[in-house]
Amino acid sequence: MFGRLLWKLLRSNRGRLAVALVAVISGAAVISALLTVELDVSRKLTQEFRLLGPNIVVSGKNADQSVDTEGVGTRSAARVPPEFALSNSATGPESANVAAAAPFFFSVTRVSGTPVVTAGTWLDQLAKLNPTWRIQGNWITSRDDASLSLIGRKAAQQFAVAPGDSIVLDYNGNQTALHVAGVIDSGAADDNQIFVSLPVAWRLTRQPEFVTLWQLNVTGSGASIAKYAAQLAAAFPQCAVRPVRAVTDAEANLLGRTRLLILSMIVLILALTALCVLATMAALATERRADVGLMKALGGTIGRIVGLFLAELGVLGAAGGVIGCVAGVVLAGWIGRRVFGTSIAPRWEIFPLTIVLMVVVAMAGALPLQRLGNVKPAVILRGE
Amino acid sequence: MAPLVQIENLRKEFGGVRALDGVSFDVQSGEWIAIMGPSGSGKTTLINILGGLDTPTSGRALVDGVDVARLDEGGLARFRAEKIGFIFQQFHLVAYLTAVENVMLAQYFHSTTDEAEAREALGRVGLADRMEHLPSQLSGGEQQRVAVARALINSPKLILADEPTGNLDEANEGIVLKLLRALHADGHTILMVTHAPSIGELADRRIDLAHGRLAVEHAARRV
Repeated sequence: MFGRLLWKLLRSNRGRLAVALVAVISGAAVISALLTVELDVSRKLTQEFRLLGPNIVVSGKNADQSVDTEGVGTRSAARVPPEFALSNSATGPESANVAAAAPFFFSVTRVSGTPVVTAGTWLDQLAKLNPTWRIQGNWITSRDDASLSLIGRKAAQQFAVAPGDSIVLDYNGNQTALHVAGVIDSGAADDNQIFVSLPVAWRLTRQPEFVTLWQLNVTGSGASIAKYAAQLAAAFPQCAVRPVRAVTDAEANLLGRTRLLILSMIVLILALTALCVLATMAALATERRADVGLMKALGGTIGRIVGLFLAELGVLGAAGGVIGCVAGVVLAGWIGRRVFGTSIAPRWEIFPLTIVLMVVVAMAGALPLQRLGNVKPAVILRGE
Repeated sequence: MAPLVQIENLRKEFGGVRALDGVSFDVQSGEWIAIMGPSGSGKTTLINILGGLDTPTSGRALVDGVDVARLDEGGLARFRAEKIGFIFQQFHLVAYLTAVENVMLAQYFHSTTDEAEAREALGRVGLADRMEHLPSQLSGGEQQRVAVARALINSPKLILADEPTGNLDEANEGIVLKLLRALHADGHTILMVTHAPSIGELADRRIDLAHGRLAVEHAARRV
């Protein structure tokens, strides 16, 4: 009989309850979508930040990374020991959470008598290491290519070269001619440099096996990057390991603010949904005084009568929560495509949480039902 | 044998107004009592106190040995469910429940529901073909017959009827009175409030109230 009464209660007030149900569905949809985004945003933002380029720089201890304009790549103290490149397990540049890594050897060479910073590096890693760089021409896919180079946008303007042209690098009379495969636009100091393979740079400067620094693009949150940097520093005490703070700190700050914003919105939506249910139930409580008076006259205890109405609210919250969660999956997908450019996968663990939240919020509608406890059947049955 | 209902010096005040002023009488099990009197004489107040819908200011009202004034909220609910069957002038059916569900509602608050029993009760009041109808789809007389079936479904000790035919036309009044007569013949104890002397004369005894006091008590002339 309880289920029958409940069904009849829901049916008899479907107009009013539909309003509350829409509020619960909307609340559940937005909350489940926000929770999905909140859980996914860390991963998405991390991916976004990885696009900003390398976030860890490893150099020799006490390194002076300025380039020696006298013609020597860097001072000897700046050398990164070769063991660093050889490590390949948990901490080295080949470990699993390193998205891209490349050694750099900087020197100052001359093109047509004009000095220019030349970076010897793994040419195939430049695009991975700097996803935001734009290129006119082609990237170089061969790591140690001896005939191709990339040139920064400003340097290309200065020397009036374009993809397909040749340049001649001169280092203290030692010369090498290279084709320009592409002109890169980094928007930073790299636009003034020429990028060649490490063997070419070493041969040109006669500084074999010299590495000025390593740049690493490490995946993970700001905290995990800092932790990885600490592990690197411990594993290679002869190296100075520096996270690029501007990136990792901005990432941590943005994540924190995004999380706070999402949680604030969830609290606000919960409050608004509760208010809507409350308003509906306040009206229903007034309408139901006569029924409650009659039920009391028939021997119903207030607990049993209000229990019916609470069950009604529970059904309202649960049904709204389930429908809202499904709508939230669609909404989260839309947010993911609009904001992050990729879809966000449903997080099923959010469903029970959202449904419980909606049931609790719907139960806020029980507050006006307190008034029903004071209903005097004799007064109601008199028609007052 | 102890009376089913014992009323001793019953008083009820609403603010400064005395609705009942020292009313005393007994009702034996199986009796049909008509309570009569002008408006404001305290008839409905008396019925409400006996039915546990209201509490007296002083005095005692014992129904089947239970002093209604001493019951708390839970006790009153139990008392109403187990010992009283109400028939109201306004029928007071739940609008969104069918006839059979309205009868089952009384079962639900009493103990467990038995739909077959509820249908049988409706069949006894001549509503076998109206069980799935909502109150809005029933005539006044049919609604009152549903109320009678509801009042009887838990086999109460006492049936309290407050102007049971007050809202009915002559034909339906006759049907309901016939039902009450049948209930009385079956041994049910009935306390019925009525304005109509012709209806009052159907009862075993008539109690007249005036200004909250027992004005006259006499055996009714059987019609």
